Amino acid sequence: MAIKRVLVANRGEIALRIIRAAHALGIEAVQVVSSADRDSAAARLADRVIVLGPAASKLSYLDANLVVHAAISSGCDALHPGYGFLSERASLARLCSDNGVIFVGPDADVIDSLGDKLRARAIAEGAGVPLVPGTDRIASAKDARKAAEELGFPVVMKASAGGGGRGMFVARDAQALDDSFDKASTEALEAFGDGTLYMERYVEDARHVEVQVAGDGEGRVVHYGERDCSVQRRYQKVVEEAPCALMPAHLRQALHESAVSLLASLKYRNAGTVEFLYDVPREAFYFIEVNTRIQVEHPVSEQVTGQDLVQTQFRIAAGEVGALPQQAHIHLNRHAIECRLNAEDAANNFMPSPGRITRWSPPQGTGVRIDSHCEDGYLVPPYYDSMIGKLIVTADDRPAAVARLQDALDDFAIEGLTSNLPLLRAIAVHEDFIDNRFHTKWLEETLLPTFEKDIAGGT
Amino acid sequence: MSKPTPADIENLVEMFNRSDWEEMHLKTDDMEIFLSNDANARAPSASAAVPPLSAAVAAVSAPAPAGAIASANPAMPVATTVSVPDGMVAVLAPNLGSFYRAPKPGAPPYVEVGQTITAATEVCLIEVMKLFTPVKAGVDGIVREVCVNDGEMVEYEQVLVIIEPAS
Repeated sequence: MAIKRVLVANRGEIALRIIRAAHALGIEAVQVVSSADRDSAAARLADRVIVLGPAASKLSYLDANLVVHAAISSGCDALHPGYGFLSERASLARLCSDNGVIFVGPDADVIDSLGDKLRARAIAEGAGVPLVPGTDRIASAKDARKAAEELGFPVVMKASAGGGGRGMFVARDAQALDDSFDKASTEALEAFGDGTLYMERYVEDARHVEVQVAGDGEGRVVHYGERDCSVQRRYQKVVEEAPCALMPAHLRQALHESAVSLLASLKYRNAGTVEFLYDVPREAFYFIEVNTRIQVEHPVSEQVTGQDLVQTQFRIAAGEVGALPQQAHIHLNRHAIECRLNAEDAANNFMPSPGRITRWSPPQGTGVRIDSHCEDGYLVPPYYDSMIGKLIVTADDRPAAVARLQDALDDFAIEGLTSNLPLLRAIAVHEDFIDNRFHTKWLEETLLPTFEKDIAGGT
Repeated sequence: MSKPTPADIENLVEMFNRSDWEEMHLKTDDMEIFLSNDANARAPSASAAVPPLSAAVAAVSAPAPAGAIASANPAMPVATTVSVPDGMVAVLAPNLGSFYRAPKPGAPPYVEVGQTITAATEVCLIEVMKLFTPVKAGVDGIVREVCVNDGEMVEYEQVLVIIEPAS
């Protein structure tokens, strides 16, 4: 192994995951922490701990200069960014390479181009990856009508200059276009100084699917199958599974090929994920974006392929021959489901609920994996993301995995703070979830209203 | 334990070479010794940063500062935590960085032990990726100890300088 010592530039469960992968490969791990994480499990497991700064992320985990300075001063030859924090900052990758530290991830330039939404779309288009059908700028309600007839209703109008929902509206018929076009254009003009609107097909009942890939930086890219992450709240994934059981085989193959050809066109190096919107009734998928890092939900792909993605990341970064497996050696079988455990109160508008865990009793048994940094007595600090762990179950097929998930969630006991366990249990036993009938708005539109009513009713 | 003689240390190194141990870390009131078979290993105390020689490496250091915390894993150094005597005020590192006593190499240090200073006196520099930030004393008084060697990495809230405040 060409890497001798790695700096772990993250915290929580992914820091532990990275340290364990490093140790398995004979790499020493230096854990950087904020003052709030001095006594964390990752700090204890690492070979050395360095305190960067105070609890606030901006003054510790989010300061690339501090992190790279720590890497150099402690003799690290590599840096693993994990997910979140600085993981998708091209500036961090650049700072590492400028100082002779291997960044465990893609090149800075690749992170830059994929991080820019319009450039990423252009790259995808160039690689023949389907985008959501849409138009160029539209000047009037009359032109909008004509374009919508070609695309098919419903459509969504968006402001070309910005986001955040301003200047955006969904139209289900021509009348709605006439009613809202001028208002939206004015809104966009006021918000962004540019009233230009464009149109996209509005994909209803969409699934969020994504393909796990890895590349060797020389143009060879392999995939590890897809994940279905459609159980979301406000674009935050709550449950993720692999594979997307309802996708027909021919579509699945096309999806994998799209992801591979997109990243192969960039000679992508290391692990990445290509996200798509899956339009179930139309049997179509559209490119959303590329995540240039390891993801929270990577374990479900590990479970169905038997591959260790974090170790693979290290091997690729070290330039090891044969680091990237042959596609023919990545077998996809079984079904895995992951739930994100959060310290938040689902019954109280998902308020974060940090505090001390007085009892941490995760389930155990065949096909049960827990990725977590929590233990009895652990204080969940209020400064960071509220995720306290991930429960991943694996079984022969989806129905067996759902049954295993229900049992595992029943066996899980967390005391001392409020977690989202009750919500996860409600999802796991809901007939729509059991029957695999849901889309990205299902949790918010279908499950949560009844869940909140049940909670209010005192059950 | 009395002060070890060079022969004592030779004996220790020989014993270590005969053993199947990876490392040995021995600390007494008077001395600290760190032996390792790994040429890249570093002594756990920052004060023992003697460059490794070959195969078995002996790094004998001056007494560790009072209150030094032993590392769980002696293969890598840990920050030295200095206990601050009653009535003294410690100047702490505002963040991780490299510690410098002087504004530039060869220049006289910002402060010397025994020097009378004011709260606004700059006592050292902390460098992060070539960005240098002076650290102020924060209190009027007399410099009693500079706790870090020039050029060493310091961590957040590490004690840099100890000052006896003016009454």
